[in-house]
Amino acid sequence: MRSVIRRLSPVLLSVVLAACGRSEPGDGKVHVRYLASPDVGGFSKVIIERFERANPGIKVDMVEGPAAADARENMYSTAFMGKEDSYDLAYVDVAWVPKFAAQGWLRPLDELIAPEKLDAFLPGDVEGSRYQGRLYRLPVQSDGGTLYYRKDLLAAKGIPAPRTWAELVSAAKETRTNKIAGFIFQGKQYEGLVCVFLELVWGFGGNLLDPSGVVRIDEPPAIAALTALVNAIHVDGIAPESVLTYQEEEARHAFQEGRAVFMRNWPYAWNLMQKEGSPVRGKVGIVPMVAGPGGASAATLGGWGFAVSSYSRHPNEAFRVAEFFAAVESQKMAFLQGGILPSRKVLYSDPEVLRVAPHMKDLGGVLSRARPRPTHPRWPRMSDALQMHVSASLSRQETPAEALEAAAVEIRAAAAR
Amino acid sequence: MRDHSRAGAINWLYAAPAMLVMAVVGLLPIGYTFGLAGEYHRLAVDTRFWPVVRTTLSLTAVTVALELLLGLAMALVLWSPFPGRGFVRAAVLIPWALPTAVMAMAWRWIFNADSGVMGDLLFRLGLVASPQVPWLADATSAFWAIVLADMWKTTPFMAVLLMSGLAAIPDELYEAAAIDGAGPVRRFFVVTLPLLQPTIVVAVIFRAIQTFGLFDLVFVLTGGGPGGRTQTIAVYAYDVVFRYQELAYGCALVVAMALCLVLMTSLLLAAARGRGAR
Repeated sequence: MRSVIRRLSPVLLSVVLAACGRSEPGDGKVHVRYLASPDVGGFSKVIIERFERANPGIKVDMVEGPAAADARENMYSTAFMGKEDSYDLAYVDVAWVPKFAAQGWLRPLDELIAPEKLDAFLPGDVEGSRYQGRLYRLPVQSDGGTLYYRKDLLAAKGIPAPRTWAELVSAAKETRTNKIAGFIFQGKQYEGLVCVFLELVWGFGGNLLDPSGVVRIDEPPAIAALTALVNAIHVDGIAPESVLTYQEEEARHAFQEGRAVFMRNWPYAWNLMQKEGSPVRGKVGIVPMVAGPGGASAATLGGWGFAVSSYSRHPNEAFRVAEFFAAVESQKMAFLQGGILPSRKVLYSDPEVLRVAPHMKDLGGVLSRARPRPTHPRWPRMSDALQMHVSASLSRQETPAEALEAAAVEIRAAAAR
Repeated sequence: MRDHSRAGAINWLYAAPAMLVMAVVGLLPIGYTFGLAGEYHRLAVDTRFWPVVRTTLSLTAVTVALELLLGLAMALVLWSPFPGRGFVRAAVLIPWALPTAVMAMAWRWIFNADSGVMGDLLFRLGLVASPQVPWLADATSAFWAIVLADMWKTTPFMAVLLMSGLAAIPDELYEAAAIDGAGPVRRFFVVTLPLLQPTIVVAVIFRAIQTFGLFDLVFVLTGGGPGGRTQTIAVYAYDVVFRYQELAYGCALVVAMALCLVLMTSLLLAAARGRGAR
């Protein structure tokens, strides 16, 4: 018995050690590991191959995790909460930056990159990578809410693409039928609803949290924006009540099947709608989300980028991987092969990109106006309060003024804590 | 005497591994949760706390009550012999055997606003004006959607528990009641129901505890919406711990939830005992 234990103990020890931290593989190379969504299209692997050819001493281990972003957010959180070096890099959504940075999980990148280099990126993407003035993320992929419309249906009535909310409502009223809804958006109670709503709040000249930290979501412009959205469903009748159950894919399916004239969604929907066999192929246009009276059209910023873990033993090597992914050539390939929107301005006027995707010019306009959600470490709680009351207002449990007043109280409480 | 105590010691020895496992996976995390919990004062000022408790309680009360009625009927049917009973008994258990998250996805499609089966079915029956019914867009219908989905899944479990109670009722009592001239309905009320009562109490407590901690179904089906009206305590505690990173308060919520359960269970037991004494 004792000899068995003696023979087993090195094995047990190595198991225990492996559970405590990552052991170095014995190939003499520095391994840089990160977690990402499944590499559909395989372009990440190509970029990694190119990087490893240029940097023979570094090996990149991409862990292909679940496709659901919040599942990956939890996987990163769990590893970082345990102060583990499981991941050297974190591929993070813009909305995670403040939470992760506030916990001290990310290493500031200001010393590693010259400030003027950041001017080549879309301004919103850089702004969304900062927390309390420090840079924590190198943007790789941009994203922003945009308004899709049916070019053919509008042209048939001689209506131009709308630029204001009033124009959107009247265009939707004139083009909708019994089978085709006027305007659809993501109206379920979840983060996407806040993105939809904030776009309109900004578009109506309001704000949620101004730079000095004052909560302004219960002010008239925001109330006007919510009233507009509620009326779209219950007064103007341009949006069906079912939008209250829509996330991105429900909306995209409805629009793609030809059941709506206007849709608010993210740019990913474009490629899917242009695919062979799509009923709306070649019939879709995009414009920035409309503005209300007294505001300018805005978009809620999404987008992804690389952050360096505070617990990584190889931060410099990790940053080199991040830089390589953010390089013009890598981003161009990711767009051409995987439809990943670049975070670099220059690619939105790149002739090769525009040849295959002429809509990138319009998207460049949308994304240059994209604004990040407030960078507050307690953003998830603020967002939930807003989601809940906006949803309550859309389902007529609360009036817009009541809903935003209640949301403001909860958001102020979260900010003060 | 000596033999007896030795046997006792051996029994403990046999039980020790299982108890150790229970301690590691059960007691340790529970103790840890109590250790981490803090900021209890926030329970009093948290504007979300009472709404989620209310939602959870009404969900529990409605679901368990309906399940009890339906489960009892199911148990009585499945208990009486008929051809193919074994097959039907197995078939009835299928919903219960399915993973909740998977069946919640299926219910999401059934209740889908644009192409859901539920709207189509009621439309064909002439009960609604259009097959496109946004069930999950309205607080009340979303609540009932959850009740229905949960009942579909767990009524078989209730039925199985009650069947075990039916098995313990001796046939002689029915025979005696029949000889005394009691019809089937009267036999149910004077024999079945009183003797089934202990099993009913256990089944209700089981199901109440489970429903009180309902997470996966709500998380997948409604995400707590619309307007936060279907959010349960478990969903809220998840948000507080994992999304808001407020570990201490999240654990305090879990402790509060456990206290609610203890309270609820003791009330149910006291009520049962009170009835039994009469």
